Amino acid sequence: MSPQAECSTPSYNLNCRMQSEAAALERLCQVVRVRGFRISEMSMSSGGEHLDIALTLEGSRPIAMLRAQLEKLHTVEEVLVQPLSSVRSALG
Amino acid sequence: MNGAQHILDAFHRHNIHTVFGYPGGCIMPLYDALVDDVGVEHVLCRHEQACALAADGFARASGDIGVCIATSGPGATNLITGVANAYMDSIPMLVISGQVPSPLIGTDAFQETDILGMTLGIVKHSYLVDDANALPAIMEEAITLAQSSRPGPVWVDIPKNILLADVAAPIATKAETPESNCPDVAEALAMLRSAKRPLLYSGGGVSLAQAEDSFRQFVQATGMPSVVTLKGIGNPGKGNPYNLGMLGMHGSRAANKAVEECDLLFVIGARLDDRATGKLDGFAPNARMIHIDADAAEINKLRPADLALRGDLNQILDAFTKALSSEPLLISDWQKQCKTWHTTGGFQAADNEESLAPISGPAFVRQLSKIAPDNAVIACDVGQHQMWVAQHYEFDHPRHHLTSGGLGTMGFGLPAAIGAQFADRSSTVINVTGDGSFMMNAQELATIRRYNLPLKLIILDNQCLGMVRQQQELFYNNRESHINLDDNPDFVAMARAFDIPALHIERTDQIRRGIEAILAYDGPMLLHVAISREENVWPIVKPGGSNKEMIDETRRTSASTKEQVA
Ligand SMILES: Cc1ncc(C[n+]2csc(CCOP(=O)(O)OP(=O)(O)O)c2C)c(N)n1
Ligand SMILES: [Mg+2]
Repeated sequence: MSPQAECSTPSYNLNCRMQSEAAALERLCQVVRVRGFRISEMSMSSGGEHLDIALTLEGSRPIAMLRAQLEKLHTVEEVLVQPLSSVRSALG
Repeated sequence: MNGAQHILDAFHRHNIHTVFGYPGGCIMPLYDALVDDVGVEHVLCRHEQACALAADGFARASGDIGVCIATSGPGATNLITGVANAYMDSIPMLVISGQVPSPLIGTDAFQETDILGMTLGIVKHSYLVDDANALPAIMEEAITLAQSSRPGPVWVDIPKNILLADVAAPIATKAETPESNCPDVAEALAMLRSAKRPLLYSGGGVSLAQAEDSFRQFVQATGMPSVVTLKGIGNPGKGNPYNLGMLGMHGSRAANKAVEECDLLFVIGARLDDRATGKLDGFAPNARMIHIDADAAEINKLRPADLALRGDLNQILDAFTKALSSEPLLISDWQKQCKTWHTTGGFQAADNEESLAPISGPAFVRQLSKIAPDNAVIACDVGQHQMWVAQHYEFDHPRHHLTSGGLGTMGFGLPAAIGAQFADRSSTVINVTGDGSFMMNAQELATIRRYNLPLKLIILDNQCLGMVRQQQELFYNNRESHINLDDNPDFVAMARAFDIPALHIERTDQIRRGIEAILAYDGPMLLHVAISREENVWPIVKPGGSNKEMIDETRRTSASTKEQVA
């Protein structure tokens, strides 16, 4: 991908609460990848029965589609998405 | 009770009496428990792929959940194609695999594979059981989940020590499926009423929701012309005057024309697959779209809907029917137009009545459709023969047409037919297969014999991978590459080696007698049908092309003719 193309790829913050289970992260990442997004940052905290996962994503497909697919995962409880105004171009 | 017994207990509670499986090391405790269980019939297939596909066929034909079982490692990996097949077509399935004992997981133990990791993308959900006391609740959840909302396969991977462990947890209570509320249909109804050329587009979601009756009442109330996807075939019933049949890559010219001309596309239980829509730019260019589906993620996925309703199709369709019965739609001109298209642009078979002529695939399927009983279940494989069945066989119910739609799995037909026969031992089940596909699960002839299933097998043998040959001919300058199967085995002798009688036919005047002979025979029988190598499936849209650009040589027009319905 050319640097220019990279600059114009929309990015998002995605926060996801999942039930805690061994394969939770893998499930999430698999859907993100297959539905056309790239994870550029990731953090996770676990408390009690939940995992709270924060992702920064890049991808040119509609983010609502990714959200709808993630919400279908049996162990996903909530997905919140926020567009990031072209983080990369701001960073130059 | 140990873990294995808890699994059988869950089967009983959910009325699961037939399972398809293959034993091995890590799943042995479950097989040991099966010895004492007379309420569960375990069907031993000869390959785990066939176990999964048979469970799939069982589920498609019956509407109940299909269950398959395998051991760890190669047993589990052999299931994968069948599970992917079920996933792509949203078939309710429970998959049970043995796993190496918990302490050995992650040590590259004998027959250890990370089946959970390998299958994430082809399951609705999956579990690796790490606590014996969690097993009853997991089984309960898995069985419920596989069948709820949009169905799909749920995989439970169980280490051997958990199958053997005493389970202290009580028997799980049956999970309640949540009631769904019917969305308001008023706005959609207004859109429907204002449309001059509304067209119904229905898919596999109708029978997945067991909404066949509601669908037909709705069709009757609206009189709306309709097209179906491959998996929606049979939705409108036999002889419906406004059904234009299958749309898409191998759809009829009439169906694709109606989609092009309609001003409202009313999509029910369909996901707008690329094989159906062709290039999206050219798809239903004049239409607004109402999309009704059980799965929110299908709405707006490929084409934005002008209005979407999500929920139980039965409730939604009933609400429309009720509203429409007092004041029907006024669309008689459009109905007439669609009927005319259907007459001039419906599926055509280049009928050659000459008795000594070689057998044509479409002509054979038309005869089969006339002769077989209305409630016969046809399990197809993948290729030209599959499309000929979709085009030329008249189905009166979607559960009578078993076809691998989403994954297009060669080798599906024979095991799926076995599953369908177990779903109803008295029904007529016919596997229509190709010479290539048949060889992908031919070992299942042994299963037919073992259980003495009265299945009928029909091989349309064109001595090649016909569908690939056709695309090489049309789109790769006729450069044939690795599609030749003229060294096929003698299929008649092969069937007989499994103690299954078989007949060979090759001329048009033998079609009727051949079909009647296998249907009349009290037991399994194979009909080997030699057909021309060169015959193609018409019409065809070039992969990636627009449905407007159909190539149709049915009447031997020039190859490049882009015909449209006049
Ligand atoms: C498992 C699998 N491998 C490959 C394919 C690709 N494929 C699609 S149709 C086809 C040819 C099928 O040949 P046959 O069963 O003889 O049917 P025909 O088209 O000749 O009627 C092939 C190879 C597939 N769909 N499934
Ligand atoms: Mg063939």
